[in-house]
Amino acid sequence: MAVEAQVPYQEAIDVHHPHSWLARYWFSQDHKVIAIQYGITAIGVGLVALVLSGMMRLQLGFPDSFDFIDPEAYYQFITMHGMIMVIYLLTALLLGGFGNYLVPLMCGARDMVFPFVNMISYHVYFVSVLILLASYFVPGGPTGAGWTLYPPQAILTGTPGVDWGILTMLVSLAVFIVAFTMGGLNYVTTILQARTRGMSLMRMPLSIWGIFMATVLGLLAFPALFVSAVMMILDKTIGTSFFMPAISSLGEQLDYSGGSPLLFQHLFWFFGHPEVYIVALPAFGIVSDLISTHARKNIFGYRMMVWAIVAIGVLSFIVWAHHMYVSGMHPYFGFFFATTTLIIAVPTAIKVYNWTLTLLRANIHMTVPMLFSIAFVITFVVGGLTGLFLGNVIVDVPLSDTYFVVAHFHMVMGVSPILVIFGAIYHWYPKMTGKMLDDRIGQLHFWITFLGTYAIYYPMHYLGFVGVPRRYFANGEMAIIDESVILLNQGITIAALIVGVAQILFIWNLIYSYYRGRDSGPNPWKATTLEWQTPETPPRHGNWESRLPTVYRWAYDYSVPGAKDDFIPQSEPSAGEREGAPLA
Amino acid sequence: MAETGQQHPISIYFWIWGLLFVFSAASYMVDYAGFQGYLRWSLIIIFMMLKAGFIVAIFMHMRWERVALITAIMLPPGALLVLVCLMAWESDYTWETRIVYLGAEIAPEPLPPPSHH
Amino acid sequence: MAEATSTQRLQLVEDWAADVAVFRGVPWGKAMMWIFLLSDTFIFSCFLTSYMTVRMTSAEAWPNPSEVFALEAFGVPVPLLLIAIMTFILISSSGTMAMAVNMGYRRKRVGAALLMVVTALFGASFVGMQAFEWYKLIVEEGVRPWGNPMGAAQFGSCFFMITGFHGLHVSAGVVYLLIVAYRVWRGRYEEKGYDIVEITGLYWHFVDLVWVFIFAFFYLW
Repeated sequence: MAVEAQVPYQEAIDVHHPHSWLARYWFSQDHKVIAIQYGITAIGVGLVALVLSGMMRLQLGFPDSFDFIDPEAYYQFITMHGMIMVIYLLTALLLGGFGNYLVPLMCGARDMVFPFVNMISYHVYFVSVLILLASYFVPGGPTGAGWTLYPPQAILTGTPGVDWGILTMLVSLAVFIVAFTMGGLNYVTTILQARTRGMSLMRMPLSIWGIFMATVLGLLAFPALFVSAVMMILDKTIGTSFFMPAISSLGEQLDYSGGSPLLFQHLFWFFGHPEVYIVALPAFGIVSDLISTHARKNIFGYRMMVWAIVAIGVLSFIVWAHHMYVSGMHPYFGFFFATTTLIIAVPTAIKVYNWTLTLLRANIHMTVPMLFSIAFVITFVVGGLTGLFLGNVIVDVPLSDTYFVVAHFHMVMGVSPILVIFGAIYHWYPKMTGKMLDDRIGQLHFWITFLGTYAIYYPMHYLGFVGVPRRYFANGEMAIIDESVILLNQGITIAALIVGVAQILFIWNLIYSYYRGRDSGPNPWKATTLEWQTPETPPRHGNWESRLPTVYRWAYDYSVPGAKDDFIPQSEPSAGEREGAPLA
Repeated sequence: MAETGQQHPISIYFWIWGLLFVFSAASYMVDYAGFQGYLRWSLIIIFMMLKAGFIVAIFMHMRWERVALITAIMLPPGALLVLVCLMAWESDYTWETRIVYLGAEIAPEPLPPPSHH
Repeated sequence: MAEATSTQRLQLVEDWAADVAVFRGVPWGKAMMWIFLLSDTFIFSCFLTSYMTVRMTSAEAWPNPSEVFALEAFGVPVPLLLIAIMTFILISSSGTMAMAVNMGYRRKRVGAALLMVVTALFGASFVGMQAFEWYKLIVEEGVRPWGNPMGAAQFGSCFFMITGFHGLHVSAGVVYLLIVAYRVWRGRYEEKGYDIVEITGLYWHFVDLVWVFIFAFFYLW
């Protein structure tokens, strides 16, 4: 009885239509506006991180040529670059941005279940970004502890930003987690409790499955980061010793005693490994939809894809210490964590096979989103295979802390999700604005970015094999640093700068097309999912007319034999099916 | 939707209330009586689980919820069990290394709290 | 019995396969509160796991909580006396909260509001006793977050952090209870129904639940 009661309840909600500019664009409770706010903020702060990486590359490619990059500044660049990219760009953009935009639209809901909480979520996120950026204006500058913030060094004299930077970083993270929790509760509850008629879980587009599982992971994993941030703040400010062992610094015995630095690493990676999948799973989901739509073919093995997402989510909680093989943890742990890590390769490989099989003999349209999707699959395979090296203890030990690791994680969780994000923006921009992004600029942007990232990260694998250590300000006169390393580092830097500058094309495209772009119409890609079936483009506040759409089929009815078009929207009943019996 | 809410005879809450008092008193007595070792630990854990179970099952109405909600809430903490077990194992190892390699002494008896009359 | 479990299994599959909502008949707010509590469980568990780790790795003596938290009654030191009283108070508050939920669903709004206020009073007295306990520990026993005269420094760090975080939850709960009680009393939920009382109750029982674990692991270990 209750089920039937819920859809009309949602239908009856009269969304509030504010008129002042402030209420419409800043304090808006419309999930689409909040999504765009999240998106713009995340991309903005991401550009800061991009500039930082460019500065690091300048130092690595041409050491001693730039006076403004001293070792302190370099470590601050590393730390801020890593943290911004992982948390404030990828997590915020994929979940706060795409999660917010797609969840209600693709589920056929009016809005998130608690729009007010959703609005607060964005503003708290915005505050966390401000606190993070404030690091650059506090005495001593931002922390240079590396994005993993390992104690004891993170709070010992000698690490840049030890006075204030580390505190702004930790506080900003705690605030971010509050923001994420408010948003995440909304996404999960909306997906579980507020879908439209006929939208069963097994009819949801894979984008929603990815976002759903990633949000669940976030809600369960961020607590570990929150707790470690709180404890490190206490260690730093009032002198507790949770993470700090008895230690002497600069020839002086400090007051700390008996804490466990390993505890921090365990907590951090208990959060950190699910975090990898918080970033990866929405990308997996979105790319599945992009591939299916632009290849005009149903996704291969939909159920397998769903269960793979669930399995990866579950497994991601028991693999964390593979980041700690050289940390001095219990020696028996290596076996356990190497095993679980390699098991997680199974569902991941299933997904890759399914993407490839979807593309097989498909009617592939080489649109910009499709280019990015194919690039993602290739890049993800490369990054995933190097993961097999690093997942094995015995292979990992010599490769630890070399550029091989840098190449691995940039390929698998840096470049791959970013490629999907680009593809997704090219795909959904028409729905957000009613305009198409310019195709030629898009193609140019794609090829420079795609080839450029390979020019950057492929050589890094080699650098790792010859033993170049990561996180070094300069390599100096080491025997292993031969001519080829110096040359490659210069090449990488040039490629990185080109890719960095090429992103101007993308930003330009976003702005230019908003004013001068071709009108897209409601469904330019001829896609089946609900967001393309809205009565207006861009959808108005409340998304639908007085009646919510009814779903009759899964999201992947492309090129169905005998059908009128080569796609059938989810909201289209099949012959003989009538409203009121959607699941029959 | 008020009719679908959780409505149960009030007597059951009194029963549970009483039981929680009894279990709390019992676990308190474990300490008071000075039981040590496995006996102490199993008693404390048993009483703790009983109390937690009754609070979740009756006061939070989990017993009357549908299986879908029960599984969704009760399964994820399994990840925590893995964390706790591995961290316990890890802690033993860290403790041993401290004793063996850092020359730390095996914990002496704690000092009594400062007396104040 | 076997039959019952097989229908339950069927129900599980049916619910997860349903359209609209997985948790049938569960209001949005209640679903959201449950998921939030799940997330909060992870926070407290991480705190307690950290406590376990620093305690097990400590090569220094861990102060005996039974002695540290003893309170003198009639000239005899009674171990954990105050903690026992606090435990009973929190359990009683859970009892009155459960009654309030029951009253709400029976649409006796004044009764529900009154019981919620009683719950909040129990909660406030719990926080008061905790403040007394902190005072006694800091001033009389000389325990500081960074050290204490009895043994391992982490004793104080963990104690203040964990009970402090729990105390914050209780305090937030008291405010939350009072706000909802006021609104219930004013009749704001006459139309919408009294799910809100149950949702508030879930949070409050959770705070009690966390205390069960803190009591067992911090005070009785």
